[in-house]
Amino acid sequence: MLPFTFQIEDGLPVSDQLEHAVRKAIFTGQLSDGDIFPSVRTLSQELRISPTTAHKVVATLREDGYLASRPGIGMVVRTPHLPERSERLNYLQPLCRELLREADDLHLEVEDVVEALHRAAEQAGSGRRPEATTHVAEAGNPTQKSNP
Amino acid sequence: MKPIIEIRNLRKKFGRTVAVDDLTLDVPEGQVTAFLGPNGAGKTTTIKCLLNLLAPDAGQIRVLGAPSAGLDSAAFRQIGYVSENQEMPLWMTVRQFLNYCRPMYPAWDAAFEARLLKQFDLPPDTKLRALSRGMRMKAALLSSLAYRPKLVVLDEPFSGLDPLVRDEFVHGMLEMTGKEGWSVFVSSHDIAEVERLADRVAIIHRGRLQLDEAAESLVARFRWVEIVLGAEAAPPENPPANWLGLEVSGRVARFTDSRYDERELDGAVKKYLPAAKQWRAQPMTLRDIFVALARTYRLNGAHQPAEENPSPAKQL
Repeated sequence: MLPFTFQIEDGLPVSDQLEHAVRKAIFTGQLSDGDIFPSVRTLSQELRISPTTAHKVVATLREDGYLASRPGIGMVVRTPHLPERSERLNYLQPLCRELLREADDLHLEVEDVVEALHRAAEQAGSGRRPEATTHVAEAGNPTQKSNP
Repeated sequence: MKPIIEIRNLRKKFGRTVAVDDLTLDVPEGQVTAFLGPNGAGKTTTIKCLLNLLAPDAGQIRVLGAPSAGLDSAAFRQIGYVSENQEMPLWMTVRQFLNYCRPMYPAWDAAFEARLLKQFDLPPDTKLRALSRGMRMKAALLSSLAYRPKLVVLDEPFSGLDPLVRDEFVHGMLEMTGKEGWSVFVSSHDIAEVERLADRVAIIHRGRLQLDEAAESLVARFRWVEIVLGAEAAPPENPPANWLGLEVSGRVARFTDSRYDERELDGAVKKYLPAAKQWRAQPMTLRDIFVALARTYRLNGAHQPAEENPSPAKQL
């Protein structure tokens, strides 16, 4: 079993999805500093993906400072500083594009989308409407949120 | 890096039937290459030629750097081969079978054998004859991995296996991950079986190589395009060659773009479908790309006699 949430979605490179999932797991605390990270073999076996893909993802995460190699153990998680706000905003881009496309189909403007977001935030904040998160997931959120 | 398999102008006929027709293909080291094509496309013949189980009519093949016609037992100790129609000593039990294979391979790793035996849930004292097809395939894979071969050749390993066994098979095979330069050449008529495993995809159709490309680059250049038209329109007479399977129904046009470029597509849509109101291009899975290509090959093939050079489909 992998120690972080990851579900492969169709149509996007698995390597991008996996990188994204690991970074997110680090930000949300699912993976924390010093945790042992699965080996290339475990990743490839658990996800049934090519070893080359798994290797590439580990190499990229290491280059970006999310993983470090520790002799005798393998890769361990490094918690870098929370990235710049602009970089974090970038993570939202694919979802935003999806949302805008949907809005366009419904003849809604950007302002309408902002209103819808505020509404969803209120509902999520009140804690009584968990559907709000479900809707986001349906819109193509590649990771599932697990509430501890 | 040198390819682990080099095939040059391979040709093989059975009577009058050309099974493999001038096939040239490099299989890179350290990757998983999927060799895809419908049943009867020439996959098994190619594999048998490269393993020196069949003599080619023409062409050269090198495996692990040496001519395949001279593959000796030393070379076979570095190759694991599992095929759909694997011949096995059915009268032996699983244990007897492994005892029989072990002495042939000096590099046989007994601990690895034990691990795979457990993972595959194989009953050591059952005769191979009494095993299900899936169990037998797992036994064959075990006997081909236990000596940690550098090259694993699988010919339609998944056909007729239930999903659980297929999953165990892939999981077991990936135990080899980490061996330096480890390479896999796996044939299948169904891309879904190897979709996430394949670093590279080679497609053979009617004995000819149609495509040989990195999976990533395929996914990058193919898009499923849907266009909404302002009014009903007839499909264009001569659409661009990279619009595969163009269909127009009512006010919607759909096709697969095999050379996607946002700006170019926008220009082409305006030119060929002036009634277009908006279009949307979606990334495709390897599975969808394969289906779109297979349909196109079949359409192209229908117009051409087998002996003539069909228009080079590589440009698709």
